[in-house]
Amino acid sequence: MQLHDTELFKRIQTHDEEALELLYDRYEKLLFSFCYRMTNNSFLAEEIVQDVFTKLWTKQRNFDETKGKFSSWLLTVTRNAALDKLRKKSVKTYELDERDALHEDPSSVETQVEWKEENEQLQTAMKTLSEEQRGIIELFYFKGMSQTSIAETCGIPLGTVKGRVRLALKHLRTELSSIKERGMQHEQ
Amino acid sequence: MNNNSCDILLDYFNDQLSEEHRKEFETHLLYCEECQDELAELEQLVEDLPYAAEPVNPPEGMKGRILSTVKDENKNITPLAHKQTEAEGKSSYAKETENKTKNKSWMKPLIAAALTLSLAGNGAALLYINNQDNEVAEEPPAKPINESLDAIKQSLTLSPSSGVNAEASALMIEQNEKMNLVIEANNLPPLEGEETYQVWVLKDDQPHRAGTFVTNAEGKGAVSYLLEGDKSWETIAITKEPNANSQKPKGEILLSSPI
Ligand SMILES: [Zn+2]
Repeated sequence: MQLHDTELFKRIQTHDEEALELLYDRYEKLLFSFCYRMTNNSFLAEEIVQDVFTKLWTKQRNFDETKGKFSSWLLTVTRNAALDKLRKKSVKTYELDERDALHEDPSSVETQVEWKEENEQLQTAMKTLSEEQRGIIELFYFKGMSQTSIAETCGIPLGTVKGRVRLALKHLRTELSSIKERGMQHEQ
Repeated sequence: MNNNSCDILLDYFNDQLSEEHRKEFETHLLYCEECQDELAELEQLVEDLPYAAEPVNPPEGMKGRILSTVKDENKNITPLAHKQTEAEGKSSYAKETENKTKNKSWMKPLIAAALTLSLAGNGAALLYINNQDNEVAEEPPAKPINESLDAIKQSLTLSPSSGVNAEASALMIEQNEKMNLVIEANNLPPLEGEETYQVWVLKDDQPHRAGTFVTNAEGKGAVSYLLEGDKSWETIAITKEPNANSQKPKGEILLSSPI
């Protein structure tokens, strides 16, 4: 799968339309859902997905195979494009909202095979975090806010933001690893 | 290490820094192992987070809209190749374009890309061009980019140092009162390992980094770089560096030109 992604990416760089479509089909839903998660706006989400594929097509972004998985790289490019779009549109979603942080909107929950398992594991891991930690991750990662804005929004000292972000992410990662481990034991 | 710089790692990660501060931090990052480690750790820690998004169905027709816009982008950024041959019959058009793009016009997409490129993204704007991008569009595009090209302030040809058999040219493009430097080079010797080509601008014999690029199999490479401030640069030069991090030139000057 990863080899194929890289191969498709290379072909897209040579303006191979078939490769573009194949890669598009493969990532459309993940990228759109991620952008929607960040913007809460399907119009903006579509624009961002378009920006991302335009960047691939016009070679404004280059993927370095030695630096990791293609999917992770593509998601980073997507997040940066989303942050850029949010900034340009001055879309500000600064309220710390519990629903937002967990994003448990039952109507949007579909049993998609694409990343259902990862999604469930993440949701489970998220629930082990304190409300404050979930909020910090939301503001830092999904809203891409500056440390100053995070400090103001959460009412915490600026100097503590970095430590709190790191702690929250580490907590999440630890929980996620143990959930994945349990899942694997369960399967055996 | 400078604590103030270390403190803005998260803002760098979230692309919240001004151009100036971003560059300062990138320089800091080259020397501060703590920040290097933290950034790597951060990237790893957030790797799974996109999958926290619940699957949402894209709006109807999104695929068609996006794919046609993306493919059109290709046509819009290669108008000069078309312009040159506009007067000629369509049958000779494709062949003509193909020949020309191999030599000169392949640079034009990069100029257009540089003009629309967000230079504020994480990491340097590293552009890689390969020969294959001379795709021939079927029809001439509706919108030429003449307005954009009007902003070109200076065009230079770099001279190779003795014993060097390579070519390069530079364009200074003014955009929003900032100066974009666009470099393209041909026939550069192949790179090995982490080696990169580095563009420098010099003032009072002091070199400043002005873009890093790698070449394709044919020795072609290009980069667009946002020049800082209103310094009156005196010289532009290209060297080969052991990696992308050189703060001062380590390799010999391969190509150069007064500005
Ligand atoms: Zn540091």
